[in-house]
Amino acid sequence: MTVKTFNRGVFLPHYKKLSEKIPIKDISLPDEVVIPLHQHTGAPCHAVVKVGDIVKTGQVIGECDAYVSALTHASIDGTVVAIEPRPYFTGSVVESIVIKVASQQAEPKWVERDIEKLTVDEIKAAVRGAGIVGMGGAAFPTQVKLSPPKEIDAVIINACECEPYLTCDHRLMIEEADAMVEGAKLIARTVGAPRIVLGVEANKPDGIEKLQEIIKGNSSIEIVILDVKYPQGAEKQLIKATMDREVPPGKLPFDVGVVVQNVATAIAVYEACRFNKPLYERVLTVTGDAVTNPGNYRVRIGTSIGHIIEQCGGIKGSSYVKDDLDTSEVRYPVASLAHLVGKIVVGGPMTGWAQNRLDVPIVKGTSGILVFSPDFVAKTDYMACVRCTKCVEHCPMFLYPNYIGVYSETGRHELAAEWGALDCFECGVCVYVCPSNRPIVQFVRETKKNRAAQVAK
Amino acid sequence: MEEHDLKLTLSSSPHLRMPATVSHAMRDVIIALMPVTLVSIFLFRYYAVFLIAVCLVTAAFTEVLFRKILNKPVTLYDGSALLTGLFVAMLFAPATAWWTAALATFIGVGFAKELMGGLGWNRFNPALFGRLTVIMIYPLFYYVTEAFAPLRPYFGPIDAVTQGTPLAQMIQGVNLPPLSQLFFAYPGGSLSETSALALLVGGVFLIARKHITWHTPVAIIGTVAIMALILGESPLYHIIAGGVMIGAFFMATDWVTSPITPKGKVIFGVAIGILLMLFRVPLAPTEGMAFSILIMNFFVPLIDRKTKRPKFGEVYEKQFQTLLKPKAAAYEVDR
Repeated sequence: MTVKTFNRGVFLPHYKKLSEKIPIKDISLPDEVVIPLHQHTGAPCHAVVKVGDIVKTGQVIGECDAYVSALTHASIDGTVVAIEPRPYFTGSVVESIVIKVASQQAEPKWVERDIEKLTVDEIKAAVRGAGIVGMGGAAFPTQVKLSPPKEIDAVIINACECEPYLTCDHRLMIEEADAMVEGAKLIARTVGAPRIVLGVEANKPDGIEKLQEIIKGNSSIEIVILDVKYPQGAEKQLIKATMDREVPPGKLPFDVGVVVQNVATAIAVYEACRFNKPLYERVLTVTGDAVTNPGNYRVRIGTSIGHIIEQCGGIKGSSYVKDDLDTSEVRYPVASLAHLVGKIVVGGPMTGWAQNRLDVPIVKGTSGILVFSPDFVAKTDYMACVRCTKCVEHCPMFLYPNYIGVYSETGRHELAAEWGALDCFECGVCVYVCPSNRPIVQFVRETKKNRAAQVAK
Repeated sequence: MEEHDLKLTLSSSPHLRMPATVSHAMRDVIIALMPVTLVSIFLFRYYAVFLIAVCLVTAAFTEVLFRKILNKPVTLYDGSALLTGLFVAMLFAPATAWWTAALATFIGVGFAKELMGGLGWNRFNPALFGRLTVIMIYPLFYYVTEAFAPLRPYFGPIDAVTQGTPLAQMIQGVNLPPLSQLFFAYPGGSLSETSALALLVGGVFLIARKHITWHTPVAIIGTVAIMALILGESPLYHIIAGGVMIGAFFMATDWVTSPITPKGKVIFGVAIGILLMLFRVPLAPTEGMAFSILIMNFFVPLIDRKTKRPKFGEVYEKQFQTLLKPKAAAYEVDR
């Protein structure tokens, strides 16, 4: 089996065994959902419902006229109880719509449409109407990607899932392979691409087998098996590996004639076109050494991570339950957690965000919740850069993380930018390999913030 | 808000780390120095042991002293101070007065490293800086040396060749020891000059452990060989005698004070090789390697800047400038 890949990057331990064989399960509904109005790249939505309104699953509750934006839908039947800033997984607060879940949930009714008959404009309208964003993490509105200003000759479906621990795309690839391939065809039809490339990492042989079965006899779809190397699933690295094209700095995939979509996004596109189903739920992986039942779960957008962890059997060894179901405020027995859990991460272990509270909601771009025991937490103290060049050797963007780190740390942000800070997509490879344990990604973010402020001035 | 605080670890991504640390690397460099250390101890016995012990103790003492004065946490565990101490010991002949070596260690660890900001911030190789400073200020404490002379320990007759280093002999054209003896084990010169083979073993170990790359050593040794041929000297003697081996594998490959790009490492190595031969042949026969490396240390930031590699996609952009603009079908990949 020949595998393709990009230059540099790093081989990580996979940690996928915890959940890769566990089929996708639904979890029970929470008591309330918190739906942020800005969970995508681009302009935030404004609420189109009021406090006290009764909303139905899939109803539009947030809108925005901007081109780069995505609609927000109610993920559940219930009553709007608040529209206010709520904590978000990045640590900031975001204006959110809080819905108290109704005890009776109506069965959602879907009209089936013949996707073969849909026109390009109808597909785009369906995708926009469903509020679909890139579900791999960046949450870029999909309808924008479906209207490229240049001719596209290939659609790549990103089925790498290169982050350790995460297995939700892997499970979707097996369990909903047909929907994924149909979604890919819809995307290819919309952008006018004659071929579809399915990029899969070699550590998912069952997924590859399943896909090969489905695409048999279809010459316009090909599977490219990729080396299990991080960050294989980063857009630019994936395009390099599968097509041998490089997206220049500051350019986007369509500049080299390619559109990349993630597995879950392709399935969402299919469901939006076929059933007119909005993106109000997603599959994510709950895993880590401190959660009782790791697995892949289908959850409603806006469900708190506390509820999800609880539904996965809670924290290993804790009597972790919500103590008062009647109050609108959700409380957690904090004291029983601290010694059992060292870190909770929303997203993957390389690019995810550490959490300090359990009431943050999962959003369209959340691919995992990781619960680590204290033993597993990487130390955060760091030393000076010793110029070992490990980061330079591994940087997939061919930057100089060592210089970026030193200059950003000492406040010389223009020099950090000169060494490539603004071209960094924060994959975290440099920090992973750093013997001095330097938080280079954090330094990069500081430089980006500083440079953005300078430009704004 | 308070009740939600779970007191969990909050840190920037990524949340995974490779187990390797700086102290692991320092330990590996010390392991790489063991062959030559053992050869020198075998040849010089207690003189070598005593010299190494003096330098290690001084290095540890200096690090603790400076860190306390500067109000910084003591970082002896990272091993870099001890490594500098060992390096300094390697640069002296066994019969060297112990306070000379101790002073060199003190200057190397204290001034060249700690006062520059500690490990990572030093511009010059601490061991070489200490060694050369001592040589340059030697006339100043000549009388001190005389006064301290009775304090030198005597471990019996030393089995070292006393009429100068093999390199000096070679330049002066007298009594050349056979090449094979120089390569395997020869009791002349500094501790590190005793065995080229032992240094080679250590250097290959470091390359195999991926702590250093082949670029700098190969560039230095290659340049020395070529320069020797041009100047009509024996390339093998120039490589095996004197400081070329320890310089090429251990001093010029020091992470902190060498260039970060492969191209830069080659430029660095070639420049050191040229400087070394200019020092050795027309000028003084000793310390050429130390001077060459320290001079080139100075140029490292410049070399880094000038040998910056293009970012991902930059070369491609230039190559396909015409292709990126028109319709994408124009450059469909043939597979």
